[in-house]
Amino acid sequence: MLTALLLIPFLGGLLLLLLPSSVAPVRMRSVAIVFLSLQLLLSVALLIPFDPSVGTPQLVEFTPWVSRIGLDYRLAVDGLSLPLILINAALTLVSAVCTRDFDQRPRIYFSMLLLISGAVNGAFLADNLLLFVIFYELELIPLWLLIAVWGGANRGYASTKFLIFTAVSGFLILAAFFGLALVSGSVNFNITPALTENLPVATQLVLLVTLLIGFGIKIPLVPFHVWLPDAHTQASTPVSVMLAGVLLKLGTYGLLRFGLGLFQEVWPLVAPWLAIWAAISVLYGSLAAIAQSDMKRMVAFSSVGHMGYVLLAAAAATPTALLGAVFQMVSHGVISALLFLLVGTVYRKTGTRDLNVIRGLLNPERGLPLTGTLMILGVMASAGLPGMAGFISEFLVFQGSIQTFPLATLLSMVGSGLTAVYFLLLVNRAFFGRLAVTPVEDPVAHGRLDVQLAAVAPRETIPAVALALSVVGLGLIPSALSRISDSATQLMAQLPGGMG
Amino acid sequence: MPVIPAEQVHAGPHPTQEQIVQTLLAGQTLLDDTPDHVIQVVDVLKSYGEVLDAYSINLIYQAEEQFLNPFPVLKYLDGDVSPAKLWRHFWHDRINFEYAEYCMKAMLWHGTGGLDEYLDSPEFASNCEAIIACKRRRDPLQGLLHPLFPQFLPELIRTAATTHALGQFWRVMSDLFIDLAEAEANGEVTSIAGVVDFIRDRLVAAAGNPITYKVRIAGQDFWVLPPEAGLTFLVDVAVPYVEAVFLRGTPFLGTVSFNAQAKQISADQSSFKYGALYADPLPSMGAGIPPSLCMQDMYRHLPERLHNWYQNCTRGEGDVRVKICQSFQKSMFCVTNAAIKGTFPHPLDSTDQAEQEANAAYANAWASRLVVARTNALG
Repeated sequence: MLTALLLIPFLGGLLLLLLPSSVAPVRMRSVAIVFLSLQLLLSVALLIPFDPSVGTPQLVEFTPWVSRIGLDYRLAVDGLSLPLILINAALTLVSAVCTRDFDQRPRIYFSMLLLISGAVNGAFLADNLLLFVIFYELELIPLWLLIAVWGGANRGYASTKFLIFTAVSGFLILAAFFGLALVSGSVNFNITPALTENLPVATQLVLLVTLLIGFGIKIPLVPFHVWLPDAHTQASTPVSVMLAGVLLKLGTYGLLRFGLGLFQEVWPLVAPWLAIWAAISVLYGSLAAIAQSDMKRMVAFSSVGHMGYVLLAAAAATPTALLGAVFQMVSHGVISALLFLLVGTVYRKTGTRDLNVIRGLLNPERGLPLTGTLMILGVMASAGLPGMAGFISEFLVFQGSIQTFPLATLLSMVGSGLTAVYFLLLVNRAFFGRLAVTPVEDPVAHGRLDVQLAAVAPRETIPAVALALSVVGLGLIPSALSRISDSATQLMAQLPGGMG
Repeated sequence: MPVIPAEQVHAGPHPTQEQIVQTLLAGQTLLDDTPDHVIQVVDVLKSYGEVLDAYSINLIYQAEEQFLNPFPVLKYLDGDVSPAKLWRHFWHDRINFEYAEYCMKAMLWHGTGGLDEYLDSPEFASNCEAIIACKRRRDPLQGLLHPLFPQFLPELIRTAATTHALGQFWRVMSDLFIDLAEAEANGEVTSIAGVVDFIRDRLVAAAGNPITYKVRIAGQDFWVLPPEAGLTFLVDVAVPYVEAVFLRGTPFLGTVSFNAQAKQISADQSSFKYGALYADPLPSMGAGIPPSLCMQDMYRHLPERLHNWYQNCTRGEGDVRVKICQSFQKSMFCVTNAAIKGTFPHPLDSTDQAEQEANAAYANAWASRLVVARTNALG
């Protein structure tokens, strides 16, 4: 069953590559949507055999592969990876559905999207360190292509920056894993705390720090975040949805799975520093977001801040905090995907994301009222208002961390308050006020919008409405997710590195 | 600091005051004379005529049948309280008379012209006393109220008088606008100039119509606006209406506090610029901005030709109320144009220097007010 989660997107990608170029782009998108729908169905079907009372990896699929170097085909799923498998399936489908303007090389575009989704599934399911690295690296080139080929005007710069940073991230992670094998003298790369059991503390610290920097780049945490705003700004909307909703989670997943999971002995030593790092990331991300005038960069910087909560929770490593970390990964995935979708809609209709230019988009007759309504809902969720997904995750993270790291938690709470500040600035500037009345050719140059905005067709809003419903649904019925992840996070917190 | 930058509200081409004066003195139309404008103005006025017909009937009903009723909860039903009518009313399948009342209140509040003068006269006060004395004998509540608040019932009578006068005014205007549409359909009116002349001729013809109002209490008739007051259609009602509704208006309820904080509301009532000629056709989410209920009412009676025309521009059905408002504003400029044309002190082709100067001064007075109106609608 787990293998099918790799096969479906990979086969779909391959089929798309083999399709003759005479096939209409819209049909190619339909093919991609069929495969991604199958992937989503299968991901949801995983809930049937999955036993939420078991915290350890389950549904294991194992085939010896290159055992001589410790690389085995070993897949498994647990309460940490299953929610991420689900949002990967859902958000890749959303990305394919919301892809517009796909006249340029649609075959390659959609096959890359499927390839990324399959690789991400592989990384979340891999129960072998080398297998994880293979899948982790596998999504890199397709994503680089998606930014470099289908990105904005400055895509060359942004995609190269992305490639350099994430390649370094992959290299550091691989180096840490190989270093682990080298110093432990083992060629067993199966994920088990036994790998680090007999290593000196200093060695463990070096390996852990290497791993943290590797994943810190991917998450991204300050100061390794500089690639993210550029990548988001230049990426198309569907790619931003994938990047924020799914791919950043590879970093936080790695942090929890390999950082906390493997280096239990030294984790308490670095945890206080990680908590400080988290608070800095949260505050920096929030303050930088306030300073942005580009809507997309603002949402991108909000991701930097919100990923800091996961680091805070990982540092505290209490059951509540770790459950909060899983919630945060899922809720941030859905909320940021929603926000990027809506910013994409605004950009497509107005031709700009400049908050100094856009005004009055909530206008019921000639603006983008539904987009504005969903944006208000999205920013409320991101700011952690009760009743929505963001509240549950932030509440759990703060509650789980406050006793362990009170100062860092309080500073992160300030960051949460700042989220409301910058997103209210966004909503106030872009959606309230009055639409301009004069059609202009270059809105940015004239500091004014073309009032003749085309209406957003109902079908264009379906993905955003679906995401908004999930944001509210997850906020109202958090038990749906906590049932899946509770045992796994409890188990993780009871490890020696955890504070449970 | 203005809340909405002036360059955004008044964006687009605007004529100068001098250009407006020249246009008026040359007898030309303020609105560009184009076939599209003819469709918009004629058809939107036709739908407005249908709405005014209902407004007029209801205002006259309110003034005559709901006179001094302390709880006029059924005032919008025109006396028909059948379940079917109630259902349509609460389901909002109806004309919204709230806008008609808004216009009446604007007239009452700004209080210009002969009607207002009469409402403050001793003759009117004695009419009120007679009415109140009769009413108090049969109504203990009013019997109690009047000694306590002696200005209360006279003020209600003033309101009723203004309501009735506006009902009479709109009766004429409703017929005028529907006749205009018929004339255009018959090929008698083919241009904006023709529209302006048609309206002017009908306004001038109705200028001397008497405005009267009497109520019946306990089988006895009482004059509120008696014939001997000499109130007439054009000078005493139409001109104050234009002043109150086209030019001054009142800030809409949703913006009063907002605009007051921004110091946008003038302390001088005569310098108000909230009328139909200044209205922003684009709603900005505040309650009742612009007169969206009126647009909704016109939408219900929109002629098919204009409806089809709207389908082919901007968002089709999606922003139809904004488009109706824009067309309505264009048509109101035509009505204003006709009113100015019909009230010049001297013939425009006069060769007498003094008369020419008087006409120029008159045109200049209007132009000074119109130049800051939403004249980008004229193009």
